[in-house]
Amino acid sequence: MSQQASKKAEVDLPVHYKYQETRRQKTGVFFRRKIGWLFVIVSIIAITIFNFYPMVQAFLLSFQSGMGANLEYVGFNNWQRLFGDPTFIAALTNTSIYLLIQVPLMIVLALFFSVLLNDPKLKFKGFFRIAIFLPCVTSLVAYSVVFKYLFGIDGIINQFLLNFGFISQTINFLADPFWAKVVIILAITWRWTGYNMIFYLAALQNVDKSIYEAARIDGANAFQQFFQITVPMLKPIILFTSITSTIGTLQIFDEIVNITNGGPGNATISISQYIYNLSFEYTPDFGYASTVSYVIVILVVILSIIQFRVAGEKK
Amino acid sequence: MKKFYLMLLLVVGMVVLAACSSGDEEASGGSGSEGSSDVDTITAWAWDPAFNIAALEHAKEAYNGDGEYEVNVIENAQDDIIQKLNTGLSSGTTNGMPNIVLIEDYRAQSFLQAYPDAFHPLTDVINSDDFADYKIATTSFEGEQYGLPFDSGVAALYVRTDYLEEAGYTVEDVTNITWQEYIEIGKDVKETTGKNMLTLDPNDLAQVRMMIQTNGSWYVEEDGSTPNLAGNETLEKAFETYKEMMDADIAKIVSDWSQFVGAFNSGDVASVPTGNWITPSVKQAADQSGNWAVVPMPRLDMEGAVNASNLGGSSWYVLNVDGKEQAADFLLNTFGSNPDLYQTLVKEIGALGTYSPAAEGDAYAVEDEFFGGQQLITDLSTWTDEIPAVNYGLHTYAIEDILVTGMQDYLNGAELTTVLENVQGQAEAQLK
Repeated sequence: MSQQASKKAEVDLPVHYKYQETRRQKTGVFFRRKIGWLFVIVSIIAITIFNFYPMVQAFLLSFQSGMGANLEYVGFNNWQRLFGDPTFIAALTNTSIYLLIQVPLMIVLALFFSVLLNDPKLKFKGFFRIAIFLPCVTSLVAYSVVFKYLFGIDGIINQFLLNFGFISQTINFLADPFWAKVVIILAITWRWTGYNMIFYLAALQNVDKSIYEAARIDGANAFQQFFQITVPMLKPIILFTSITSTIGTLQIFDEIVNITNGGPGNATISISQYIYNLSFEYTPDFGYASTVSYVIVILVVILSIIQFRVAGEKK
Repeated sequence: MKKFYLMLLLVVGMVVLAACSSGDEEASGGSGSEGSSDVDTITAWAWDPAFNIAALEHAKEAYNGDGEYEVNVIENAQDDIIQKLNTGLSSGTTNGMPNIVLIEDYRAQSFLQAYPDAFHPLTDVINSDDFADYKIATTSFEGEQYGLPFDSGVAALYVRTDYLEEAGYTVEDVTNITWQEYIEIGKDVKETTGKNMLTLDPNDLAQVRMMIQTNGSWYVEEDGSTPNLAGNETLEKAFETYKEMMDADIAKIVSDWSQFVGAFNSGDVASVPTGNWITPSVKQAADQSGNWAVVPMPRLDMEGAVNASNLGGSSWYVLNVDGKEQAADFLLNTFGSNPDLYQTLVKEIGALGTYSPAAEGDAYAVEDEFFGGQQLITDLSTWTDEIPAVNYGLHTYAIEDILVTGMQDYLNGAELTTVLENVQGQAEAQLK
């Protein structure tokens, strides 16, 4: 914001003025821009105090270790410790699995639903949109608990599978390392697909109908229209949703804690839950916990850069 | 332009510096107020309205000292209390901290060691000999007594007498037995009644914790911080016993508290080995009245193991903030010295304390019809005194999370010594 504002002011100046700038006039320029700065300075200070300052402190904290308030600097020990910590590695692996399977699955599903719902011939459009979006307004904890009971050993899913003869014995979904992960992925997909769909729907409204018309006249079928027109037109939105979903999945916490509590063993534990455990469940080591937090930061940065590259955005 | 950014940075830097230096002042002001200070109100935090909150309310009524102050009881979820204490104490500010707080025994040492000056010692306030030994071990640190022991987590075996009878056993047959004998009985019970003997939650090794304490062992060594897993014979025995139970197919697998309670309320299991705080939940199934009995916890089949153990339990702590004298005074004149209060607690809320002089009271001798006229409270408090004292140390939950994965490997066929060496290595790596 601030940068844009200052750039604009610079552009507005007459060309000759720029070349004649003297020391005194420079101050004048600064004075003229002051009003603009006054508008943004409050939020800049607030962001600095409440965002950047804690970030710097957390970074410093990641080089300290100790119980509770007895922290001391330990250099890169925490960072070395990460690589020898099986729980951290398990958490990282699980989170990566959620990320690699769930995000693409959800993006494709959301895209699919939004294209279906954008069909002008579709009846009860409002109903379907609400039905798919509704999971997003449910509380994270409430829906997690519902999923936990659905997939419980006496839950409705087991009953259903038994009654229809798909299985001969109940599956203890939440006590099985593989199925527990499946349940988590199903749950977050259910919760967030509608949310991403809304972005695509909004973007689709802005795609000019005449492009599709022209495509149809040229003989493009539905698949070609989808891959040649819809996907390229939605590319910025797809990029946006995949980045936000990636960040969201990297920070996944509520679902894991409420559905499986990280179990069985460490089969579903996520990085965020491990951070929580290090800070509040075990004897608190805030230093090491913030090192683990910074791993998420680094991952988000790396993954976002990759996504920008893949999507071919210049900036 | 550059100059301006520099100025901006400077301004922001100054603001930030000002912000943190003022924070420091506040913190030092808070902890610097040693000396005695009079306050009108003291605050107490606990988490269970049916149990420890209710106990505090009864304590307020029973208070017989001459201090003049209000006691403000606030209910917080246990997890919230842990978080608030951790964030509050580590930031160094005592604003918003309570005067009295209830802390679970398994966590006590980690708080006492992580925040050395945050708690007010009660060594001169209470008489440690009045309380069960094992509680004193967990609530003191470096020779100072910090906690006032509250509820007993004495573990017991709740059995369905009707199922046992059907399988040809009496209550005597399950009294003071070993876990091996328990498993044999369990097999017979399953064969004749089709009911499982107990529930097990693969994510919660409470069963293992209770087993190892019968032999005075714990996840950590005496120092409270060195993991004691590889080569710990008691733990090996407990793991073997756990696996035998699984292999004998006498355990119903549950994954949370409601399934656990549901299993015995619906009559799916023949026994419940757990802490005595389960009594109210067992009694929920009123139609099962008379079909239950409570016997001492089975012991590990080892030299020195006793038929007494513990699961959970908590104690009161006084924080080192203004009003600590009043808080200590309140605790002394209620939980610390008033046997009558403990009678009320037993009668009104079924809370069993660990204050030994209270055991002679009438309420403790009441016969409980639900348990076939057994003098349940008397029995439980007798067993409380036999619980081997162990230092729970700092890492109970951290190690347990590692052990849970180890247990999975072991149940899936890995060799026990390898598994335990493995978890020992993991624990040492994680707890540096």
